[in-house]
Amino acid sequence: MTKSGRDSYKDELTSLASHNEQIVCIEADLGGKNHPFQQQHPDRFFNFGIAELAGIDMAAGLAEAGYVPFFSTFASFAALRASESIKLTMGYMGKNVKVVAAYGGVSGGWFGTTHHALEDIAVLQSFQNIRIACPHGESETRRVIQEAAASEEPYYIRLSRNDSFDSLLRKEEASCREMIVVGEKRNGLSRLCLVSVGEQATELCQRIIQEDDSIVHAHLCYIDIQSLKSYTEQLTALSHRFLVVEEHRATGSTASYLALLLPKYEIYSHDCGEQWPSYGGTHTEVLSYLGFGYETLQQQIQDILGGTADDF
Amino acid sequence: MEQTIPVQNIDISLLIERVKEARKLIIDMASAPTGCHIGGSLSVIDLLVGAYARYYGDPDTVIILSKGHAAAALYATLHVYGIIPDNPADSYGEEGSLFTGHPNHKLPGIPFATGSLGHGISYAAGWALAQKMKGTKGLGIVIGGDGELQEGLCWETAQIVQAQSITNFVYIVDCNGGQNDGYVDDISPIRNLRQRFEAFGFVVREIDGHQLEDIVASIEPHPDRPVAILARTIKGKGVAALEGNPESHYAKIPKKLAYRWKVGLS
Repeated sequence: MTKSGRDSYKDELTSLASHNEQIVCIEADLGGKNHPFQQQHPDRFFNFGIAELAGIDMAAGLAEAGYVPFFSTFASFAALRASESIKLTMGYMGKNVKVVAAYGGVSGGWFGTTHHALEDIAVLQSFQNIRIACPHGESETRRVIQEAAASEEPYYIRLSRNDSFDSLLRKEEASCREMIVVGEKRNGLSRLCLVSVGEQATELCQRIIQEDDSIVHAHLCYIDIQSLKSYTEQLTALSHRFLVVEEHRATGSTASYLALLLPKYEIYSHDCGEQWPSYGGTHTEVLSYLGFGYETLQQQIQDILGGTADDF
Repeated sequence: MEQTIPVQNIDISLLIERVKEARKLIIDMASAPTGCHIGGSLSVIDLLVGAYARYYGDPDTVIILSKGHAAAALYATLHVYGIIPDNPADSYGEEGSLFTGHPNHKLPGIPFATGSLGHGISYAAGWALAQKMKGTKGLGIVIGGDGELQEGLCWETAQIVQAQSITNFVYIVDCNGGQNDGYVDDISPIRNLRQRFEAFGFVVREIDGHQLEDIVASIEPHPDRPVAILARTIKGKGVAALEGNPESHYAKIPKKLAYRWKVGLS
């Protein structure tokens, strides 16, 4: 059975720690009971309690002493509540701290706005020097955790709540830094390239291209500025027109930075709009309230492509 | 490998000379075009010089100045110990200089940039936890301010230190009674400080923060509990015109006045 991103993280980190004694797992009272890391590596597991700023700062102290600390909490409490700790320790000072942020976007569904994070990527991207990953599905999440553990760079890894998906196929030796392209046209450019960031977005884009083979899908796992820069050549070989699908505000989104990197290209954004997610519901229902979903994405594609099918 | 220096091996008269040299450097930095946070630098300098006397050279121990606005004191300390060869007063605050107004981690001997108050406490606690895991005798030593204790992060960290039994953690508080806008007591008093730390499981030591013998003797871990050292200090210590005056928090002074203050250091 496919594991959720959160469970994949716990499982993979626990496994990696068996071979890497520098890995430390820190929770802030949101890791749940019977954490596998705690059971297998109790000397390197710490639940610091509800203390996100101190947790990330202390992780920086551990990193300075040579450990590889993974600190996990919800995205809102990490990126927003403890944003200064991330800015200073991971951004400015470049300490080898990995923040694993579950409940990204509105994956908390009915938990409400206090538990949602539609602004975290904007904040993290502005700090510089931090790798930002939004893995899709179990195998990609596991691989990102492996890459984070092997890297000396600070990482922010955005996960959902309990959604579980099968990741897109990736070559075994390929890094998640490489984009995955699905439906690439053999001859010439596609009339539209959907760019997916995150789990729900990736699922939506896959559904769209299954119904319209004139559209290509580029899935981005890493979306920090350096990674986005690395994609531009490959992206512009796919299309002149991009619609970035991302569970985030438009402000500070991947679409907004790609627009800066590709000023001569058409860049559109399918995002979570400007409303506060004030109502309950499932993850998908809350997204729908925010205008993020299959029907609205279809409509947006039609609006973008109206009368342009033969342009290329 | 150099190790912690036993108290009895420390030459206090040498430390007194180092402190005096460091105070002159701080005054020189106040006479830079930018000026500096002179009051809190002069109050904390004995604590810094004392801490470095005990623990400089121990690779398992870190000393962090969390009240980063006293950067001039940290730079002066690192210079008098030879960790930073360049005289910080020669370029403090200048274009292209790493001697910024708050401690710069790109300088030798400064593992963490500080200045946004509260964070240094947690950095030191994390370091201490790492040493505990490694089984070394290393310490996480942090020097903070009394006004800084208004930051919730200090107490958030104290809570974790207690919960995780991080006993190789030493928290020195420079109790100079002042902060940016005036006296701590007039803004947000930190009452019953000893009891507060004791409630968090710390052993509390109260000392005169300008008596080097007391300072070097007090910076010592307790076998079972973290240590809080409440150091009574005088803001602007050594310069009669500044002592005890919260207005001394930041000053930019002419070179001639700097000269007079250096000559008149008490």
